[in-house]
Amino acid sequence: MSALAKDLSEVLARPDIWRGDRLVDAPIPGVPSGFASLDAHLSGGGWPRGALIEVLLDGVGLGELSLLLPTLARIKEEGGWTLLVAPPHEPHAPAWAAAGVDLARLAVVSPVRPADTLWAMEQALLSGAPEAVLSWAEQIDPRQLRRLQVAAADGSALAFLFRPARAAQESSVAPLRLRLSSGHEGALTIHILKRRGPPLHAPLHLILPRPARWRSHESSAPLAGVGVSASAAGSPRRSVVA
Amino acid sequence: MGVAAARTRVPQLRVRLRQPSQETDALARLACWAGRFTPRLSLAPPDALLLEVGGCLRLFGGLPAILDRLAGELAAQGFSATHAVAATPQAALWFAMQMPGVRCDTPAATRQALDHLPSEVLPAEIARTLHRFGLRRLGAARCLPRAALAQRIGREAIQTLARAYGELPDLRTDFAFPARFAQSLELPSAVENAGALLFAARRLTAALAGWLAVRKAGIAACCLHLRHRQGSTPLTLAFAGATRDPPRFERVLRERLQRHVLAAPVEALRLEAGTVADLAEENGTLFAQPGDSRHAMAALLERLRARLGEARVFTLAMAPDHRPECATRRGAAGTADVTPPVRRPFWLLAIPRRLDEIGGRPHDRGALRLLSGPERIESGWWDDGEAAGDLRRDYFIALTPDQRWLWIFREARLAGDWYLHGFFA
Repeated sequence: MSALAKDLSEVLARPDIWRGDRLVDAPIPGVPSGFASLDAHLSGGGWPRGALIEVLLDGVGLGELSLLLPTLARIKEEGGWTLLVAPPHEPHAPAWAAAGVDLARLAVVSPVRPADTLWAMEQALLSGAPEAVLSWAEQIDPRQLRRLQVAAADGSALAFLFRPARAAQESSVAPLRLRLSSGHEGALTIHILKRRGPPLHAPLHLILPRPARWRSHESSAPLAGVGVSASAAGSPRRSVVA
Repeated sequence: MGVAAARTRVPQLRVRLRQPSQETDALARLACWAGRFTPRLSLAPPDALLLEVGGCLRLFGGLPAILDRLAGELAAQGFSATHAVAATPQAALWFAMQMPGVRCDTPAATRQALDHLPSEVLPAEIARTLHRFGLRRLGAARCLPRAALAQRIGREAIQTLARAYGELPDLRTDFAFPARFAQSLELPSAVENAGALLFAARRLTAALAGWLAVRKAGIAACCLHLRHRQGSTPLTLAFAGATRDPPRFERVLRERLQRHVLAAPVEALRLEAGTVADLAEENGTLFAQPGDSRHAMAALLERLRARLGEARVFTLAMAPDHRPECATRRGAAGTADVTPPVRRPFWLLAIPRRLDEIGGRPHDRGALRLLSGPERIESGWWDDGEAAGDLRRDYFIALTPDQRWLWIFREARLAGDWYLHGFFA
């Protein structure tokens, strides 16, 4: 009988019990995302390891990668590998290098068929070799999601899955689901659809580093070329008007 | 009895011709495979292998462990074998034939077991002579005076017995591993399904692994030739680094075969090893080191390449070219000291997409706002190619009404069309 008479608080402190009023203490601390306001609302204080993280958005270029860049830079410091599975377009190496990603530890898998995309992601998660797997999938059904979650849970990698925003209405087994949209004054708006803890109703607004300075009331730069410079082959001198 | 008599007894008997050359080949292949366990082995044709395992017992963790592994791997290759362990080679051969499974670790135990062997182990003539004397067991024959017995059954037989009992040294020629690995395997019937070849190819990959183990080497590539009635198809298997690990051979081979469509039924296989590189044994580490992830990643990339194709799995490097299309190079070789230019998009379209121009402004699902630019990129005057040839473009960073950041350009020569070239993220 003494084994059964456990303190209720001990039972409630287990990581696999989700309470409606507070965030779960994750058994493994999460990877800080680089944005304190986001980390405060995630259990474990960051991106959860060994779990599928769904990022839902429409289109490319909202800032979804800028959201992950601090994490990728941290992975570079630790010497881990990053794998991109079925990226939407060709990765442009100079941009990735300038953003702080180690090109020597970045691999890209670009399959033709969607079934191969899911297979590649599952293999990458099962192998445990890459520290982060970023994958893009248009169509994926709940059974395949469950397989990916099981594969992710076996290891301790960061598994990001980018999906179109209409998938927000579907149910998913991923423990963390975010929906990104554009916000006010160039900020990125994040709706946390699902997390290990109580639902978050108010969206978060993150200020991300953007390629150019921008104010909503400014008009666009003149179209006529200003500061044009001729360039010789091999060593162009460019002037950039911001 | 003859074949006809056998058929009357068992009407559904299937008769196959013996192929001595194939049996010799199979024995040589098994000898190569056994190189994983010990470098000292010798052939006892037509169907026996002698392995000297005294030196490697500790490496494999004792006699039962090594016997289990041998039995398991032989079964995986599809052979049924009997084995025996003894202190002398001749005794081990006789035990394997007559008393399979016996293990005599010491010379004394070997002698005791030999005493119980029937005389049939000796050549037929000599066995008949011994039977006439009423000597049914070797032990009985050993009790007789040596010289007198030698006169009746010959010195040869006495020496064989002495070698079996350990009184005379038994010198066997060590199997000479071939200098180059190129083994063929005839299939019993033509195979139409590529996946079914995996089982047969397993014998070849096991032999290759053993041959590499003896040389303490590894290979980065090997070629499996599928021979049809006319012609043959080569299949190249490439590995991420020099390796001699049989599971890796099998994995890459399986992925490759699943992707391959056979042009014609396959009648034989031939495996040739590529360039052989020295590969020392890896020391086991106590704690996982960061270097392990490199091996794990190489193995993962190898599997992905085997299934999806070489062109679909790649790494990136920067090339020292100002033209954006040419600034990314696939593959590992890249100039390390290229400074990345600032403000480049993460994603680049392979072919720039033309944008409509309405009211003097480019449109992509709404009017674009140009926030930065123009950045003139002019390069490639030496290149006569069509796509990325001589460029003269003004690049701008643009923002769509739904807050997506684009990289667009306009040709500077023929002022006019706007093109979308990339996305920031």
